[in-house]
Amino acid sequence: MRNFTRLIQNEWLKLTKKRSFWVPPVLLIVISVLVTVMLYKFSSNVAEIDSVAAYLAGMVGASGLGQFAAILSVVGTAGIVAQEYAQGTVKFLLIRSRGRGEILLSKYTAAVMYTLMMILIAGAALYVSGGFAFGFGGTGAQWLDVLRESAYGFVYSLVYVTLAFMVGALTRSTGVAIGAGLTGSMFGGIMIFKDFYKYVLFPNADLSVYGTAGPPLPGMSIGFSLIVLAVYMAIFLAAGYTVFRRRDVA
Amino acid sequence: MTLTQPNRPLQAGGEEPVLRMQDVTKRIGRKTIVDKLSFDVRRGEIVGLLGPNGAGKTTTIRMMTGLIKISAGDVKIGGRSIQDHFKEAIVHVGGIIENPEFYPYMSGYDNLKQAARMTDSVDEARIMEVIALLGLQEALHKKVKAYSLGMRQRLGIAQALLDRPKLLILDEPTNGLDPAGIREMRDYLKKIAHTEGIAILVSSHLLSEIEQMCTRVVVIQNGKLVTEHAIGESGNAGALPELRIRVDKPDAAKRAIEALENVRVTEVRETESDVICQAADADMPELIDALRRAGVAVYRIAETKKSLEDEFLQWTGGNQIA
Ligand SMILES: Nc1ncnc2c1ncn2[C@@H]1O[C@H](COP(=O)(O)OP(=O)(O)OP(=O)(O)O)[C@@H](O)[C@H]1O
Ligand SMILES: [Mg+2]
Repeated sequence: MRNFTRLIQNEWLKLTKKRSFWVPPVLLIVISVLVTVMLYKFSSNVAEIDSVAAYLAGMVGASGLGQFAAILSVVGTAGIVAQEYAQGTVKFLLIRSRGRGEILLSKYTAAVMYTLMMILIAGAALYVSGGFAFGFGGTGAQWLDVLRESAYGFVYSLVYVTLAFMVGALTRSTGVAIGAGLTGSMFGGIMIFKDFYKYVLFPNADLSVYGTAGPPLPGMSIGFSLIVLAVYMAIFLAAGYTVFRRRDVA
Repeated sequence: MTLTQPNRPLQAGGEEPVLRMQDVTKRIGRKTIVDKLSFDVRRGEIVGLLGPNGAGKTTTIRMMTGLIKISAGDVKIGGRSIQDHFKEAIVHVGGIIENPEFYPYMSGYDNLKQAARMTDSVDEARIMEVIALLGLQEALHKKVKAYSLGMRQRLGIAQALLDRPKLLILDEPTNGLDPAGIREMRDYLKKIAHTEGIAILVSSHLLSEIEQMCTRVVVIQNGKLVTEHAIGESGNAGALPELRIRVDKPDAAKRAIEALENVRVTEVRETESDVICQAADADMPELIDALRRAGVAVYRIAETKKSLEDEFLQWTGGNQIA
């Protein structure tokens, strides 16, 4: 376990020691603050928002800043496998006494940590800016909503980070991986009213839809979506693992 | 600078080679890139893997280190198969494959720390030890993207040595280095072989670059073994040294030398006025006396060494790229 922790530490350092590491978090903070300011100044239904908790619960999910958090998490992590090939450092990585599976898993863990960090940053930026706008308050029930919506926002990001991770491992191209993650997250807004579509990844990614309206398609429920997401993510990871483990490294 | 001895126990008897290649074959599509290659590398040896461009050196090294699959045959490192017991076999190996690649946005030290975290037994003291061994102190906290190729090669060797390997594998470590850099590299590889007491396999397409440090060369071409050749201090072991003696009267010199018992004249080169002969060290004073008595003026005596480079070109049939 200590060995594995040190692999994760390596991966985390590889992400964070880059100077460009700061770009996605800073962008996310800037966007969060800007959105809060705009809403506060120009939106007419601000009056309904009585506390920062209510604001956060509405904004942290995929229909709010969660969408930006997902996109920026994909951008920040898509290269985590492909970059090693591009830099030639993959040889350095694979001639150690560590299995390829361990190495890939440590990379995925770092990507998950990054995604979590981005949701927390979005939450913190919205909390501070929203607090000044709407007052730092909220009821217990509202704060529970915040927790739930943050968790949904995290799951939403993770789905597309995992998709990009797999594509990166399969194609060894950062650009293709980012493209796949972003295109995927755009499909989330499209709804095809056919029965088969409920088994597709995209309509299931945003769990917050169950709170507000009914299910997007008949026969869908939060449990259903969780199972569909789990199956897709397992397939993505298995595909990435199978290819990464067996591929000749030239 | 103090260097500690490697703290892994030495193999008793040392019969087991550190690296054993057994009919190693790589096929890609219908092409056989490496064909039934077999050779051993033992502890304390520096073995050169030689071959012209495209001979299959890098492919062979990639198979050794488990980067690519072996089509047939097996590689054993420290007695363990790289295919069946990857972790147990690779733990004995440190290496650079093709180019020393690092995370350019990290310092040399941070890159070494990355390598250290991937092994179990490298502490801070060991990191400082290899840094000192390779003279990297100055560049330690500079970003690797600011390193010259020579510095990156050194950092490559440093990371390869970190976990005290039994086998150091270097693919063209002299690639891109200037003559001073090549000599420096040779010197510290010899030093490392000595201080760390390990086996080293170096690939190269230029014999002259590694001749001086190798104890043996394995020559391959088109993926096949051409020859294995021990490099002694003075040519073929056991044979008498061959000498070229420049004189004023070669014919008289030849007669005088042939009168001696243990010395043989092999050739007289009239144009250069050289007599080529084979003589043991013990017979030399007598030979020189004999020449003086015959009234022959001696201008030079030199040992002739057939350049291994010539032989290498002969083995691989000139310089054509496969
Ligand atoms: N993935 C591959 N697919 C097809 N052919 C390949 C592949 N990799 C290598 N080869 C071929 O195998 C041969 C050996 O290549 P290799 O890189 O092992 O040679 P080398 O001895 O290291 O040469 P050099 O001195 O130029 O580094 C070459 O002819 C090369 O074109
Ligand atoms: Mg090569």
